[in-house]
Amino acid sequence: MSHATASRVQHVIGDPLSEAPARPREELEAIFGDIQADLRYDMELNGCLNCGICTATCPAAHYYDFSPREIVQLLWTENLEGIYDAMQEKIWACAQCYTCAARCPFGNSPGGLVMLMREAAIKHGMESAKNVLRPFSRVMLKLISTGNQLAPNMITPDHFADWGPNISKVDAPLKLLRKAIPMPTLNTTETAWEVNLKTSIELYTIWEMTGVLDQLEGIDENLFDVITDIMDEKREDYDDWLEDQEDDDEDD
Amino acid sequence: MSDTTDTRERFTGHGAEWRDSDLSSTEARVATAWVEQRVDRRSLLTDKDRVADVRDAMWELERDGEIVVHRVADEHEPVTVKTLYGWDKRVPTQQLWHHKSCGQCGNIPGYPASLLWLMNKMDIRYLDETDQTSCTAWNYHGSGIGNLESLAAVFLRNFHQAYVSAQAEGRPAGYYYPLVHCGTSFGNYKEVREFLIHSPELREKVKKILGKLGRLVDGKLLIPEEIVHYSEWVHVMRERIREHQVIDCSQVRATIHPACHVYKMVPQDAIYDDDILEGNRVAVSTGIMQALGTQVIDYKTWYDCCGFGFRHIISEREFTRSFAIDRKVRVAVEDARADVMIGHDTGCITTLDKNQWIGKAVGKDYSLPILADVQFAALVCGAHPFKIVQSHWHASAVEDLMEKLGIDWRQAKVEFEAYLEDIKQGAPENLYDPRRRITSGPGFKKLETSA
Repeated sequence: MSHATASRVQHVIGDPLSEAPARPREELEAIFGDIQADLRYDMELNGCLNCGICTATCPAAHYYDFSPREIVQLLWTENLEGIYDAMQEKIWACAQCYTCAARCPFGNSPGGLVMLMREAAIKHGMESAKNVLRPFSRVMLKLISTGNQLAPNMITPDHFADWGPNISKVDAPLKLLRKAIPMPTLNTTETAWEVNLKTSIELYTIWEMTGVLDQLEGIDENLFDVITDIMDEKREDYDDWLEDQEDDDEDD
Repeated sequence: MSDTTDTRERFTGHGAEWRDSDLSSTEARVATAWVEQRVDRRSLLTDKDRVADVRDAMWELERDGEIVVHRVADEHEPVTVKTLYGWDKRVPTQQLWHHKSCGQCGNIPGYPASLLWLMNKMDIRYLDETDQTSCTAWNYHGSGIGNLESLAAVFLRNFHQAYVSAQAEGRPAGYYYPLVHCGTSFGNYKEVREFLIHSPELREKVKKILGKLGRLVDGKLLIPEEIVHYSEWVHVMRERIREHQVIDCSQVRATIHPACHVYKMVPQDAIYDDDILEGNRVAVSTGIMQALGTQVIDYKTWYDCCGFGFRHIISEREFTRSFAIDRKVRVAVEDARADVMIGHDTGCITTLDKNQWIGKAVGKDYSLPILADVQFAALVCGAHPFKIVQSHWHASAVEDLMEKLGIDWRQAKVEFEAYLEDIKQGAPENLYDPRRRITSGPGFKKLETSA
């Protein structure tokens, strides 16, 4: 078979007629092992009769080459090559609505299983994960360094041209419009609400202790560096404040 | 009928035994209608072999001394409702800690402002403070960055803060009960609570983190008795809200878009009421819209998601806008002839509201107003359309709805623009004393009296 007409499966995994797979068996086993090791795996995969009720109700299946039934079948039958192939593109189509999980007679959660596969794609530094997550860096920076997913100043016509001219129907500076929201926590432009310095440091500690920062470093090293710099400064500011408090207590 | 000599190229993922049905278009319509009448009924969610109430295991863990449960106490004035399987859920109505939503606060600020405004009208004591992080679940479901341990630690951290927050006001721990604004936070927290209760391994891991943060109670993890969404509060308060109604809305045809993460994630905890759409639809939002007197119109894609997609709304909106327009907005306008679509979650409101404008490019100009249930309720209870409901952040045609309700939005806009001039130098009007927003850390000052 000519390489020019090779299918995506052949490109990613290797020629099925070849004796030598492009991906070593150990790598495929390691990826599946990580998916299977998650404590959610046994709770989210209980069997499958291939009824397809999940795919019939899946919004992503309307628009993408994606089927939650296929995802469940691949995992249930431990089809390692198929799992690896699905992790190249298909798992990123899932809209995470959990309609499949609500309806599955077996109590499976195809949407939940997709999340285990996404986590594994990130852990194994798959190119698919890096490509898909590139546009996410602005959100990730905001979330990890502030504790908010979204900020008012992120929603601009430049980034959301398709939302049209009515992102705000009152023509006034963003800062003034935010000041006019009658909740004092919301008079902000760089975070959705005002987050206490102590709070954002606590969240960062959670990121550190749960290995999330390691995930991030594997996907985007530059972003990781920027975030660690920001958070080092925040921690210094907080330590300074704590020292000032101690000084004040001694003065009292 | 197809036969084995058929050589047309076709998708064969169904298996070799698959054959086309070759129904006529009339037969296909009848078959589809038959399916549609059955697929989105409550029975499809309850047809499970094994269902257990996680709260039974939770109480057992507390008896064994493993955890402490933050109770919904009498002081929270709970109202008991029924969930999917007829189990009781106690919804607190008083002394509430606002667990805010990134998307609502960042993009639809009239959503939480309307909620607090209604609470002020009904003398509900609450706290809206700065010591809260995002639940991080939008990011997780969109990107896969994060994991069960991080989600669980964030959940326990925020709910611990809700538990201790009142101490800054000289009140006891547990005084405020968390009220979760975002549907994804709500669904995620419920899912994580189940995993925490069923997994000693997960509890052990997060206990170390919570210990380091100083967020254990008597050396134990604190788990809430109920996880409560704001729409559930609105639902149980609907008759009391109606007492404040000043605008008749009986001529309004409303469609409801229920949020997937509110009722499909941990579906056994969602509220159902046999008197609301025959108990086939989750009761929240429909309940308040019926109580206010609108005509709630059922429609065939009621069960569909909005198309938000978590990842898609950020980086692949072609899917989001196609789904939102074709499966929800178009159906609401053409089939249900709706005046408004009402939601109860952050991402849905954003998706359905902001993604309509681009439809004009392909002749899909449906112009359907999109609001949250609590914004609609505030509007008909007399809230200012701009100062409180903050309707200017909505890209959809909410002005058309206001005109139908007899609200002079042009005059209200003039008032708001004058108000903006006033607050350029001066202090803005607030729903509560701004000093209460800081309960510890930099900027905290203990108040002598609490509101």
